[in-house]
Amino acid sequence: MEYFFIFVAIVLTQNFVLHYFLGICPFLGVSDEMEGAFGMGMATTFVMTLTAIITWNINTFILKAFNVEFLEYVSFILVIASLVQLVEMFLKKYLPELYETLGIYLPLITTNCAVLGLALFMVLREYNFLESAIFGFGAGVGFTLALVIMAGIRGELHEEDIPRPFRGTGITLLVAGLLALAFMGFSGLVPT
Amino acid sequence: MFGPVVIISAATMAGLGLLFAGLLGFAHTKFKIEEDAKVTEIEEVLPGLDCGACGYPGCNQLAKSVSKGEAAPDSCVPGGEEVAEKVAEIMGMEVSSEPGKVKLAVVHCGADNEEKKRVGHYEGVESCRTAELTTGGNIKCEYGCLGYGDCARACPFDAIEMVNGLPRIDPDACTACGSCVEVCPRNIISIEEINLAGNFVKVACNSRDEGSAVRDKCDVGCIACGLCEKMGPEEVFSVEDNLSRMDYSSYGEDDDFDMAIEKCPTGCIVELSSPEETS
Repeated sequence: MEYFFIFVAIVLTQNFVLHYFLGICPFLGVSDEMEGAFGMGMATTFVMTLTAIITWNINTFILKAFNVEFLEYVSFILVIASLVQLVEMFLKKYLPELYETLGIYLPLITTNCAVLGLALFMVLREYNFLESAIFGFGAGVGFTLALVIMAGIRGELHEEDIPRPFRGTGITLLVAGLLALAFMGFSGLVPT
Repeated sequence: MFGPVVIISAATMAGLGLLFAGLLGFAHTKFKIEEDAKVTEIEEVLPGLDCGACGYPGCNQLAKSVSKGEAAPDSCVPGGEEVAEKVAEIMGMEVSSEPGKVKLAVVHCGADNEEKKRVGHYEGVESCRTAELTTGGNIKCEYGCLGYGDCARACPFDAIEMVNGLPRIDPDACTACGSCVEVCPRNIISIEEINLAGNFVKVACNSRDEGSAVRDKCDVGCIACGLCEKMGPEEVFSVEDNLSRMDYSSYGEDDDFDMAIEKCPTGCIVELSSPEETS
């Protein structure tokens, strides 16, 4: 049951984007079209899940074992950067269209604060291996969910006659705020 | 000199670095893609401005489409004939170009600083888009040129110069890339295909207001009297939505615009110099 709560918490009540305000840049940047948003979500989920698994191992078996926990930032970033590079190679080869759609936001997953945040939260909360893996995967699912909902709303907005001063970034940020407000409704779903 | 912590830290990071470097090196050989040699060749020939005038987001995408045969070799607008020939050579194709026609940006407003009727004093950022968005502009006419030169700054070829509150387009430098069209908040500029053999004339007004309203707001605006329809060459001018428009596709080299220019009561039909004359 505890594993399930970790998952629900990170997807809904403590969603990285809408609760912690982490990873806002791709959330606003690639939520323009559904296809790109979903692709970005999948890429980030992949990176997040593997980051959680690998960083847990590094933290437990290397950093803690050798008493060099102060290396956590630099080693975690190394893991994240390598994984992003891997995803980029993979997408360039097999899904070139998605690669074009994601553009600069793909390498920017490297510095997506949600990914590093995930690794650091994991260490802070002292999760065990399975909890970490679920936490990482859930974070990715939550991120994808936020991105896809945002893309859906923005897709509808393309058809609307938005007052001129609100067009572009303005309306996007307003929608993001309302979405965060809506997600507050989930709080209380998970016992703390 | 070095404590054990330093050595352990260094060893840990070196180990991890090597591990991931090895992993990525392996992935690189595994996921290697062979790019079409033509794409890189074409991209080298293209100007590399990523202006988007061809309809693709950038030169790279155009190069890819050309190599696949989806786009014509002469799709690059700023590159002109020179680039088209080189691209066609790479693709082993012939260029089919229509001689004597050139695309240019045309400014549809004739109110210079003396003619603009101000309704207020604007002291904000010197940008048409800002002025339009914040105050709706400080000239009486809602269609006319605001004169802050967003188009001139947007032009990647320095083909636009602001002269007395109006953009002047250098026909030799203009490549019809459309950057100025996009940036103008009042949509005053349009891209037209000019027949080099004929005269180069434009309607220097963009106002869709009724004649009486135009007279109140501007002295050089089109009042939609329709004289140009009668006096000008046949089927070239047409008044629609209270504005005379010129159909650039249907005038020939023999068409005479003198009568239309002379008879226009507000003088908003203007003759311009075509590229050849200025060069």
